[in-house]
Amino acid sequence: MVTLGSYLFLSFALFVAGLAVIIARKNIIAMLLGIELMLNAAALNFVAYTRFVNSNIDGHIMALFIIVIAAAEAAVGLAIVIRFFQLRESIHIDDAAQLQN
Amino acid sequence: MFENILFFISSFLVLGGATMVVLSKNLMHACIFLLFTLFGVAGLYLTLGADFLAAAQLVVYAGGVVILMLFGIMLTGGTENKENRFGIEKIPGMGSVKTYIVAGVSILFIATVVLKIIANYMRHYQQTDLPEYMTTVERIGHSLLTDHILAFEISSILLLGALIGAAMIARPRKS
Amino acid sequence: MNNTIVSYLSQFEGHQKFLAVASEFLGFDVTALVGFVIFFTACFILVNVAAAIGGLGTYAERKISADIQMRQGPNRVGPYGLLQFLADGVKMILKEDVVPAQADKFLFNIAPLLALSGVFATLAVLPLSSGFILTDLNIGIFYLLGVGSVVGVAIFVGGYASNSKWSLLGGMRGASQIISYEVPVTMSIISIVLLSGGMSLVTVTESQGGLPHQWFILHNPFTFIGFFVMFIGTLAEANRAPFDLPEAESELVSGYHTEYTGMKFAFFALAEYAEVFVLCGIVSALYLGGYKVPMDLGNGVFFVENLGLPAVIGKNIGQLLQLGAFFTKTFLLYYVVIWIRWTLPRMRVDDLMTLCWKYLTPISLFNLIGCAIWVYFFENQSMWSVIFKAGAAGAGHH
Repeated sequence: MVTLGSYLFLSFALFVAGLAVIIARKNIIAMLLGIELMLNAAALNFVAYTRFVNSNIDGHIMALFIIVIAAAEAAVGLAIVIRFFQLRESIHIDDAAQLQN
Repeated sequence: MFENILFFISSFLVLGGATMVVLSKNLMHACIFLLFTLFGVAGLYLTLGADFLAAAQLVVYAGGVVILMLFGIMLTGGTENKENRFGIEKIPGMGSVKTYIVAGVSILFIATVVLKIIANYMRHYQQTDLPEYMTTVERIGHSLLTDHILAFEISSILLLGALIGAAMIARPRKS
Repeated sequence: MNNTIVSYLSQFEGHQKFLAVASEFLGFDVTALVGFVIFFTACFILVNVAAAIGGLGTYAERKISADIQMRQGPNRVGPYGLLQFLADGVKMILKEDVVPAQADKFLFNIAPLLALSGVFATLAVLPLSSGFILTDLNIGIFYLLGVGSVVGVAIFVGGYASNSKWSLLGGMRGASQIISYEVPVTMSIISIVLLSGGMSLVTVTESQGGLPHQWFILHNPFTFIGFFVMFIGTLAEANRAPFDLPEAESELVSGYHTEYTGMKFAFFALAEYAEVFVLCGIVSALYLGGYKVPMDLGNGVFFVENLGLPAVIGKNIGQLLQLGAFFTKTFLLYYVVIWIRWTLPRMRVDDLMTLCWKYLTPISLFNLIGCAIWVYFFENQSMWSVIFKAGAAGAGHH
């Protein structure tokens, strides 16, 4: 009853939610939340295909690396956000439109 | 039976959490809903027989990423939703009924094309018997240290770089 | 599903007979249903026991502190004041549930629930005895770390949602303290995983013996240091003194639960005391032999073969002995935790971070590498057997 399609649908919904957050919101931290959602959607896809199509472990490894990258991305992204806030007193994405000062 | 119940609970968490992340006005609430979504994804991993991944998801996200995000929200002091300053409603001719109709029609068209393509594959897809649940910890360990050793080492260097880089960037500088 | 408690019960003859009779009577196979009922009952018992231990923890704390300070402590309600925690609970329920007007209602209400559910979810892998574990996950310790870190989120959110300066400072301190001290604790746990060859708490416990020289704390010098690192980290993760900065009452009124009243405050307090119990149980399972009883009395073979008892009674006596061993070790550690609270003064917040990042983390990394080298060179023998063999070889030369 629970097939590959249901997992793919969930993953699709997660990805669309992440995309909507990135498009609709102008707060940098909110956009980081959207990126987390999209990374999770990708990892969920890998694991679902591992279970339903081929049962080797490579999909799990890939999802593990996605989790690693998500952690690194969150750390560096938030550091950049905090630095940006120190400089500009704002976390609006449109304030980050200049390359220098 | 048990797997199905777990699947329904987890998918409810995932769908509801993701929807609320999109819709909630308060960023702090969005972060907590993101936590629920990530718990739901961990539950989905369990139904897929990926026990190690589910635990890693809990450790990394619940313990690390969400708390980092909460700290970030607090340190930058903004729980209010930022308005789209130069965005869609500032452009004349956008956001009217006409544009929504055009968008709806194009969505229908693209969805038809994509479904036509997918249907061709789905017709030949047969559900085979699923493998039994078994622990993945040993297999992941072996695989990480044999086939994927290079990626493993590179990811450790990536994490070290992220650690040092984040500390360097966020360090308060004397002006 | 691997329900250890269900599979433990299903090895007995009576259980099988009951299953057969019930299946015949009801007309369908009741194995799954009975398994579910047993599992549910065990969950119910365990959660209530943990809540009772959390409640008795407050009583023990007050009694022991009274003892240390040469006072009487609570002694009015029940024998020796034992029912004081029930009276406190009734008082908490009857109190008015105040939500501050400027508070974030949703987060304010959800934070105590997150704290309590995070702690109770860790009970699932707590190895009380070889038969009485809810589930023996292959990733037991890893699961425990993941679920336990929800408490950090709860403390942070609770502090934020109260919209009070004290609560906010307490919550930020709590979250930073919990995620910092997770690093040395995880490193110490990984070194034990390295020695035992598995993340399941049953595997870890079974690779130790009943007597102190077979425990992991005395396995090699590195684990001996690792025990203290882990114990200090545990104190910090449970926000206990000398690391109770999130609720430092002399500077922050009451920290992250300043604004909480009634049952929500009771949830936070219960979560704290139950978490201390769970973490003490984990430390005793990792380093102090957990449920192992000396001379292998725990598996019940001795009672069946030497005393001639039937298998059911022998096995269950063994299980009771194991439960006794586990609770003895855990409550001893619990006593030490309370003892430390009423002995040491509170640390300063920068000293706390210095202790974690400049001392405990390097020491735990050193321990991890040391354990890896020990496993490689001495083939995972304990230091006693290495010394014994070296002594025997030395004696052979003469």
